[in-house]
Amino acid sequence: MAIAETRPAPLAGDRRDKARALRLVLLVLLGLTMLLGLGWGAAGDTDVIGALMAKAGIGEASLRDMTIVWDIRMPRVLTGALVGAALAVAGAVMQGLFRNPLADPGLVGVSAGAGFGAVAAIVLGGLLPLALQNLVGSYLIPVAAFLGGWLSTIVLYKIATRGGRTSVATMLLAGIALGALTGALTGFIVYKATDDQLRDLTFWGMGSVAGATWAKLLTAGPIIALALLAAPFLARALDALALGEAVASHMGIDTQRMKRIAILSVAGSVGASVAITGGIGFIGIVVPHLLRLLQGPEHRNLLPNAALLGAITLLLADMISRVVVAPAELPIGIVTACLGGPFFLWILLKNRALLES
Amino acid sequence: MITATDITVHFGTRKVLDRVHFSAAAGDVTAIVGPNGSGKTTLLRAITGEQAFDGEVALDGVPLPHLSPLDLAQRRAVLPQSGSIAFPFTVLELVRLGLTAGLATGRTEGLEHLPRTALTRVGLEGFEGRMVQELSGGERQRAQLARVLVQIWEPVLDGHPRWLILDEPVSALDIGHQLAVMELARDYARRGGGVIAVMHDLNLTAMFADRVTLLGGGEVQAEGTPQEVFTDGRLSACYGCSLRTNTPPPTGGPWILPQASQLSM
Repeated sequence: MAIAETRPAPLAGDRRDKARALRLVLLVLLGLTMLLGLGWGAAGDTDVIGALMAKAGIGEASLRDMTIVWDIRMPRVLTGALVGAALAVAGAVMQGLFRNPLADPGLVGVSAGAGFGAVAAIVLGGLLPLALQNLVGSYLIPVAAFLGGWLSTIVLYKIATRGGRTSVATMLLAGIALGALTGALTGFIVYKATDDQLRDLTFWGMGSVAGATWAKLLTAGPIIALALLAAPFLARALDALALGEAVASHMGIDTQRMKRIAILSVAGSVGASVAITGGIGFIGIVVPHLLRLLQGPEHRNLLPNAALLGAITLLLADMISRVVVAPAELPIGIVTACLGGPFFLWILLKNRALLES
Repeated sequence: MITATDITVHFGTRKVLDRVHFSAAAGDVTAIVGPNGSGKTTLLRAITGEQAFDGEVALDGVPLPHLSPLDLAQRRAVLPQSGSIAFPFTVLELVRLGLTAGLATGRTEGLEHLPRTALTRVGLEGFEGRMVQELSGGERQRAQLARVLVQIWEPVLDGHPRWLILDEPVSALDIGHQLAVMELARDYARRGGGVIAVMHDLNLTAMFADRVTLLGGGEVQAEGTPQEVFTDGRLSACYGCSLRTNTPPPTGGPWILPQASQLSM
């Protein structure tokens, strides 16, 4: 009774407390999932805690355990968390920008462009001069994917911008056209590919965090981190944009500047993500949608929580991908699609009344 | 003072506004009236900067392009004709969006009570937790008005009047709420703010407006007090129907009675 009296009742219509509580829960869950991710794998007898402590100078761990935890599993777990966060936040930003809960980074051609870059690198990479091949080495595919994603986004942005104003509707439609075009080009290259290359292409398209290394993480990580840090500055603008572009500008939002930041940060983070993990679908749609149902659409709370839940989701999907066909690994894109597809349908059916009104 | 000088707007090759002059002073409710397609909303959108135009719109002598979006948002708020909303916001969350509008930072200390006060002001107390999508058209219009009010709550800020710009603010409202909203607008003007409203209802305009601009065919047909502007011949010609203006004793203002065509013959 005393507790009820000292704490004011939650105000009707105000879901900020709920969002803050959810953030704490998600933070704890993320910590647990990361720890679990570090202990997950074939070498079940690895002393994860010991290896973590040893790095901090407390106690000792065997060289084998140190290698497994720090060189193999840690970059994988960090990559999973970072990419999951990037995809979920990019989805939320795109949905806010297009004022549509079904928008996805795929819509603005980032994914298609990145896919084209990767396919071109796998199939045509051998044609590059040897000196250049040696220079970029194993980075050829990620670099090409990143450039492809950026290039297609910039082309699209130029098409949709006229007289200093970017039309979101034009961007959506041109994105479909450009996606079809890059898809056709990709198809042409795939048609020309050898059997070995086809195998690489297929697995790349399904996505995986298995190939994560510190080097790749340190290349893509800063771009993703920058985009994640930029996201909170878009929160107020995205909230205002829910009321339409004209209303947002009446509320003091520089809508053109905000669109530019949103599009470039999404292109950067998704391009970098696709570059190191390949195509991983559904996290960008399911995570923000679920959070909007749980805590409301205010972006100041939606964006950070989407980052946390996106990271958790991808880490869990990665763990599942490692046990389903053990000792082999299932591409993670298959897992996220298997979980995300039915889950999304369930949300849709449950909220059909609200959507159709 | 908001002044619009020589406003010309083309939609393709069609001229929608032709060298229109308009001005509104703080302390007044200034109404823009006219038949459908006369350019009322286009003029309002030129004034708010939504519509590209030839000519100049100035706020207290400063042309609009010289003011940043933030400056403008601090000095005027705009109620759109129909407000759609993209995600499932609650009424309180919608109104709270007005709090940070025009602020350089998201700091709203000491203002957190305003959204509730504004909701009470528009007769929506107890609606805080309702979803905006589930409101009726009139309730939604009043919720949007509450958001707009929160943005420029004090009619005068640092000696500058602030402006409430309303596009058909009572179009979805029942008669009781029509009066309440118009009284609210008049009260805002009486406390030193400025109000510009596009109106359809000539009688409400006559009751609440201090100044009226009558548009017809993209040009200003008349400008002045309702008594000066609303004359039988001018209104009938402008609206293309027979209208007779009466002055009933209680208010002293003109009262417009539409005449069915059989009766007028």
